[in-house]
Amino acid sequence: MSAVGKLIREPWDELGLSESKAFALQRSGATFGIWVFIASEVLFFGAIFLLYAAMRIEHADAFAAAARETNIVYGTLNTAILLTSGLTASVASRAAEHDGLRRLTLWCLAATAALGLAFLVVKGLEYREDIEKHLVPGPRFALAQAPAQLFFGFYWLSTGVHAIHLSIGIGLVGRLIGKGLRDHEWLVGNAQVEIALLYWGFVDVVWIFLYPALYLAGRAG
Amino acid sequence: MSEQRQSPARAIWLRSLVVWAILIALLGLSWLAAYGPFGGWTVAVNFGIAAAQATLVAVLFMRLNEASALVRLAAVCGLFWASILFALTLSDTFSRLANV
Repeated sequence: MSAVGKLIREPWDELGLSESKAFALQRSGATFGIWVFIASEVLFFGAIFLLYAAMRIEHADAFAAAARETNIVYGTLNTAILLTSGLTASVASRAAEHDGLRRLTLWCLAATAALGLAFLVVKGLEYREDIEKHLVPGPRFALAQAPAQLFFGFYWLSTGVHAIHLSIGIGLVGRLIGKGLRDHEWLVGNAQVEIALLYWGFVDVVWIFLYPALYLAGRAG
Repeated sequence: MSEQRQSPARAIWLRSLVVWAILIALLGLSWLAAYGPFGGWTVAVNFGIAAAQATLVAVLFMRLNEASALVRLAAVCGLFWASILFALTLSDTFSRLANV
């Protein structure tokens, strides 16, 4: 069976198309499908960011004071880590389309997953510091202004939801690595590589907006 | 043979590294701007830089520049519906503040 024949999904033969044409159609359908999913995720995270915007407009001073309590070093480091994982994901996605670049694809997938794990480790260190500083909303909350609790409610919600998304991304990329190692023909031209890495790119974009929202507010003056 | 195999890899790396370098430079710029003398405009500068970074990732890393019209439409739809969500909700929020 040809390489394309292995990747194509049944049923496709009822359309009477050639194998390569049917596969090209399946690939474009898969890309369209993940973008529709990403558009629905834009609305999900859009609602979360809208909550932030509405709360910040009403409680500007308390949000500035609360945002000053987040650790900008951890936040900036994690942004750089995720932007770099976007680089390796992009290279892996393009390399997977070339027959001779299987090893590069695998290495870049591994680097992407490793950078994702590094992000979670840094986030874990940051969470520990936040808990020690009593930045969890509740009776022992560190800041006097009541709306500062709204900020940290948003902080835990948004970073938690993002970390869940990133963990799913690490799982998807790990699966690609496992399948790619077992079967030499599986990665090349496979739509699953592009789909998983488009999802990864979206998770990157969410963090790009979380960074100014959580770490940069209230720093000047 | 080996040269033929290396050249697409080099082209892929070169293109992606340029985008990555711009993204990291924008990150540094955003950090500096947060401490800068922009007053009330700081939030606009920071989210403006974030929007530029997100555009670069979506267009060049997520390859919207090479995508079909249908895929681009799907991507824009998410933003379109989200903008309606923002516009209607924030019009309420701002009108309450204006009338206090």
